[in-house]
Amino acid sequence: MDLAKVQELVFEVVAGLVADWDLDAEIGPTTRLVADLEFESIDIIQMVVAFEERLRKRNLGFEKLLMIDGRYVDDLSLGQIAAFLHQRLTVAA
Amino acid sequence: MTRTLFIGLDGATFTILDELTSDPYGEGVTMPFLAGLIAGGHKAPLRSTNHPLTPPAWVSLMTGRNPGSHGVFDFVRFKDMGHDVYFTLYDARDIQDETIWSLAGRQGRRIVSLNFPMMAPPPEVEGCLVPGFTSWKHLRRNMRPEGLYDRIKAIEGFDPKELAWDFEREAKIGEDMPEDEVEGWVRHHLPREAQWFRIADTLLEQENPDLFAVMFDGTDKIQHQAWHALDPALRPAAPSESWLRLRALCLGYFRELDGYIRRLVERAGPDAQIFLASDHGFTASPRVVRINRWLGEKGWLTWRAAGDSEAEKRRESANFAYLDWTKTLAYCPTPSSNGIAIRVARGPGEPGVPEADYESFRDTLVAELKEMRDPLTGEKVIRDVLLRERAFPGAAMGDCPDLTLVLADYGFVSVRNVAPVVSMRATPTGTHHPDGIFIAAGPGIAPGASGRFSILDVPSILMHSLDLPVPRNFEGRVPDGLFAREVTIGPPSRRMAAGTAAEPQVADEASEAEKLRILEQLKALGYLED
Repeated sequence: MDLAKVQELVFEVVAGLVADWDLDAEIGPTTRLVADLEFESIDIIQMVVAFEERLRKRNLGFEKLLMIDGRYVDDLSLGQIAAFLHQRLTVAA
Repeated sequence: MTRTLFIGLDGATFTILDELTSDPYGEGVTMPFLAGLIAGGHKAPLRSTNHPLTPPAWVSLMTGRNPGSHGVFDFVRFKDMGHDVYFTLYDARDIQDETIWSLAGRQGRRIVSLNFPMMAPPPEVEGCLVPGFTSWKHLRRNMRPEGLYDRIKAIEGFDPKELAWDFEREAKIGEDMPEDEVEGWVRHHLPREAQWFRIADTLLEQENPDLFAVMFDGTDKIQHQAWHALDPALRPAAPSESWLRLRALCLGYFRELDGYIRRLVERAGPDAQIFLASDHGFTASPRVVRINRWLGEKGWLTWRAAGDSEAEKRRESANFAYLDWTKTLAYCPTPSSNGIAIRVARGPGEPGVPEADYESFRDTLVAELKEMRDPLTGEKVIRDVLLRERAFPGAAMGDCPDLTLVLADYGFVSVRNVAPVVSMRATPTGTHHPDGIFIAAGPGIAPGASGRFSILDVPSILMHSLDLPVPRNFEGRVPDGLFAREVTIGPPSRRMAAGTAAEPQVADEASEAEKLRILEQLKALGYLED
């Protein structure tokens, strides 16, 4: 799957997640989970599940994206998530 | 026509229900309908799983298998990556045994399952499934069948924020709360339970399934924080006004609950068999045991210095261990686990105990834990230390902490870095007792009372009530004398590869290899047949 397709998938999954949240945010590569979409820890877990369900694959290694040098990151953009997923899917293929 | 109505009451105990179905203090009978149900039905204490905790216990009730087989041990699962440990939540895909929802469905029975934990993401069912313990933000995509959310949304008074699980609020369970905060806590759970009742009542009428199952969990939440207002042993000789107010609120909750049970039983009709069960009971926990603090003082655990970022602060205050993983040999991952994970080094220079020293390290740890004492009274604070291969035998055993602690008062441990290791609470909090409740009533149920049943018996009982054979690999049984009709035994339930609850998954090679190693270990120990 090329990066553009992965990005499209990320936007679609995240847009589905936040559909009932009454948010006014745009969905795009610079959209940030916490700052723009008001994500809490549980929402990040649900997002990971949603990607795993959509891709029919568990253990995508999201801990490598969420933790850097043993510390949890403050925020992530949808572009960063797409790039990470693209890299993981390329390695898996 | 609904043949089997199952009402789960999270944490319900006869310590409280015996009082609420009688009138020992001249307050009136709080639960008159339940009193009548028990009088005409069958009652027994119900022994929970070895660690009486909501996720493993309800999943055992749904699968007929112990946690070492079904694979769910806690709310939170952890993955040791050597220099780090990653925490996330268990979900439906971690259940490795078939549930009764699936078993009933593939034998032609329609089901409705409401508010049971570990049911998200939702598996396909013949009927309707709404998972419990799910944030309002994620309810829509976690229901089966598609479109159910809009049907539920049309129910008068539906409010997803009132209905759903609030992770931030529920994390306060077990913390000392001032009385007015406890009152707010109880008040919060009144509308929440009403929301679940309205959904249950609507779907019971619309779907009329063979098996209708709903779980009310306000019982557990209220008992955790307001136990001192309910436990007959803690009733003050001269109750204060605030105590009386809190008690009246709690009784109001149970009165409402009695009404919900009555209306569901009436809706199911006179031909339905009725079953009520809890995942565990309740008792008082007057003591705090800070187990990671103790491990740190022994030199087996090193705390991590938290950074300044918001994420770091959130992480440090979260209810799971935040440690220097390069220097930690043993740790308790979460308070709810009551467990200690021993880290085995993956190679020379890697963090953990060398593999060759594992047994002796574990023996030392167990011996020292059993000697831990309350400095004020000199009493031992740990009742038992369970070894995972004995308490949770099965193919999933490797995901369980190496040791599970049973505290003297059945309390949950604290994982915070606070001194001293052992202290007393200002007010005893409610904690899980291994003995919950079982009640059965309706046509074909022999009235009476029995000695203790096992939580693993409940799915066998439900299968039998549905006129289906009991899978021969179920670990429980249909207790003698409960039914007039003879029990039949059928083919085993299906074993699922981890991650198959929703869709076929790609297996994780490392975890598969680990499972094979554990299977070999279990065979060597005699827990599994070749």
